[in-house]
Amino acid sequence: MLVVVVVVLVLAARPAPTKGVSDQRAFALATQLKCLQCVGESVGASQAPLAVKFRQEIDRQLRQGRTDDEILNYFAQRYGRQVLETPPSTGVGALVWVVPVVAAAGAVLVLAATFRRWRREQQGVAPSEEDEALVARALADRRDGDGAAS
Amino acid sequence: MNRALGLGGLVLGLGGAFLGICAVLVGLRSGRKELVRLSRPYAGVVLFGAVLSVVAMQRGLITRDWTLKYVAEHGSSTTPPLYNVATMWSALEGSILLWGLVLAGYTVAVATKFRKRLEDPLVGWAMVVMFVVCVFFFALMLTAANPFRGNLPPPGYDGPGPNPLLQNHILMAFHPPMLYLGYVGFTVPFAFAIAALVTGRVGEGWLVETRRWTLFAWGFLTAGIILGSWWSYEVLGWGGYWKWDPVENASFLPWLTGTAYLHSVMVQERRGLLRVWNLSLLCATFSLTILGTFLTRSGVVESVHAFSGGAVGPILLGAFAVVVLVSVGLVGWRGDQLRAPGRIDSPLSREGAFLANNVLFAVFAFVVLLGTVFPLVVEALNGDRLTVGVPYFNRMTIPIGFALLTLMAIAPVLPWRKASGELLRDRLWWPAWAGVAAVVLGALAGADGVAPLLAFGLGGFAAGSAVRQLVLATRRQGVRGLVGRANGGMVVHLGTIVVAVALAASGSFIRTAEFELRPGASAVIAGHTVKYLGSRSVDRPNRVELRARFQVDGGKVFEPRLNKYRLTGQTIGTPSVRVGPLEDVYLALTRAPGTSNPAVGVRVIVQPLVVWLWVGGMVMVLGTVLSLFPGRRRNPLDPVSAPPVPEAQEAGPEPSGAGAVTA
Repeated sequence: MLVVVVVVLVLAARPAPTKGVSDQRAFALATQLKCLQCVGESVGASQAPLAVKFRQEIDRQLRQGRTDDEILNYFAQRYGRQVLETPPSTGVGALVWVVPVVAAAGAVLVLAATFRRWRREQQGVAPSEEDEALVARALADRRDGDGAAS
Repeated sequence: MNRALGLGGLVLGLGGAFLGICAVLVGLRSGRKELVRLSRPYAGVVLFGAVLSVVAMQRGLITRDWTLKYVAEHGSSTTPPLYNVATMWSALEGSILLWGLVLAGYTVAVATKFRKRLEDPLVGWAMVVMFVVCVFFFALMLTAANPFRGNLPPPGYDGPGPNPLLQNHILMAFHPPMLYLGYVGFTVPFAFAIAALVTGRVGEGWLVETRRWTLFAWGFLTAGIILGSWWSYEVLGWGGYWKWDPVENASFLPWLTGTAYLHSVMVQERRGLLRVWNLSLLCATFSLTILGTFLTRSGVVESVHAFSGGAVGPILLGAFAVVVLVSVGLVGWRGDQLRAPGRIDSPLSREGAFLANNVLFAVFAFVVLLGTVFPLVVEALNGDRLTVGVPYFNRMTIPIGFALLTLMAIAPVLPWRKASGELLRDRLWWPAWAGVAAVVLGALAGADGVAPLLAFGLGGFAAGSAVRQLVLATRRQGVRGLVGRANGGMVVHLGTIVVAVALAASGSFIRTAEFELRPGASAVIAGHTVKYLGSRSVDRPNRVELRARFQVDGGKVFEPRLNKYRLTGQTIGTPSVRVGPLEDVYLALTRAPGTSNPAVGVRVIVQPLVVWLWVGGMVMVLGTVLSLFPGRRRNPLDPVSAPPVPEAQEAGPEPSGAGAVTA
């Protein structure tokens, strides 16, 4: 069950595949590239001259029938790795992907272990009849006195 | 004059805070209550000093006092009055001054609220912590980030004015103060947390005392973040409202840990569990506000908001380290007293759900923090330059968002202690159908793709749960069923769901196109016709505006602008948006028509449901306000957990539903 949920979540989070030459695909690609002339903006968002040039280049390469990856690689080779908004999945850069997943898995495991320990400890302790009688009396008192109040 | 006044105010604030610390500490140590009670007048002195400095700064800005370096560098004689006031928080030193003012205000508010208990060591220590934070910020303003540095202006000098982006939209006057009220507000629960650790009164007393303060700060932080994204939508011209910019992340991080705390605090109040965790969350929230200020005010990351600030960076980083070390040290020192008196019986219970919520929020915060600092870390490690951008954050956080929506659907119907499968099935029946209805509705409206439909479905599911809780509460208590933490919280949930659905729809179904249009020509995008009518030029004191006129769908005319600022020569666009309940049509100029080419460049963006982001944000704030009202007083003997015997269920409508309403 959990596995299914995780798989669905991961699949759902992946951006929808883009096909065919269209403005949509060009803009999707442009948002994958960082504008090197501006602060914190993607090529898709910016009107800086370099960003406009990038977009024209994307259009040109799309018309030549290049794939998304080929176009992104072209920019990465020319302007350096930092032009890509997505961090790499190999080398040191991959840590940014791996570490949160490991941390989350660790947290879930620790919680699961804690619950298991709690359940084991709990099995030895059961409320005595006396305890239960006390609780029942307190509840009964509450209900009698409560009546119209709630 | 302004300079002397401002510096005088800062010295007064620093002195008042310092003497406040001394008085309270000496008083607590020697048992002299009259000394401890001095914290209130000293808080007043700090506030007076801060107000004096702010008045001096505003006076300097309004009278264009170029002998103040800050005014000379960020003011100008042509800035319109409103933005002239807002110039105070448009650069580093002034924004720290605003921080100081808000902090002094909170210090006085705490001293006033607890005026009858000032000699109580818990309150005394909380005041000490507030004063220490005050000392830090006032000392920062007197040294590295001094807003009152002097300047010798040449005759006839005029300043450049604030960054044009920051004088382009009225929200600029409101977004930063709101955000600061939120940021700085978390100092109060942090101060009480530290006080609880120092005094050893780590029970639930301090939590209850600071509950409303935390909610208050959280509400303002939420409002500030939403207003910030609205500003970015209305000003930046690319149709987006959130781009995981380091400064946005810096405001989002304390929001995440603060939200986690607001949930887990209920477990501690009810069951006495998670004490260390709650203390850690508060300390994390406060230290993240400091870290955020460091990241954005030191120039280590690039961002539209970042102001570079020399020595401020290392000082803030040092403060962050001190806060973390002190918090960890105190928690370690009190470790034996923090042990929980009980345990969580079943993962399928209200407290189990809060725990899951906290894991998700903690992972969320970790992802955002890691993504923000990762490029810095890698560059420091091996010199590689890489970017962690929007695609990373979206891919990592969207699954967490889905998980949070799922939890939001299930958790509100769970009783404390333990839930059975039958009970869950029974209570989730209608919410689940609401989710199915949302998916069908989305599909009928033409939505495709797994992610948005899943978001709609989970949104409907979660909304069903929240509405169920509100209906049950109002049926039982009338209008009072809408106030109090649990019910107000459900209103906040509804707002969050609206925001989530709007995010999913606007992010998934955005259509963008760029056109070059001659006067009279039209373009068609996503079923909308945009016709270019012509443009004109308007002269303003600080800028020249090029206003292009577009008719959208043969109806109203919209005027996106390009503003050329005279002093800096920068050109900043102002988009114009046809706002609709279902779809926004967003027009941003990309190119002014020239003499050789009369065509205008325009970017047209059609985005569904954007307006619901702001509506959802308002609902969240409304829900926070409702939560601030006292809810139904709960009798401590009321059954709140799963009923032990079947007839207990008939005794009252849903005892466990009532259990959510706390005093």
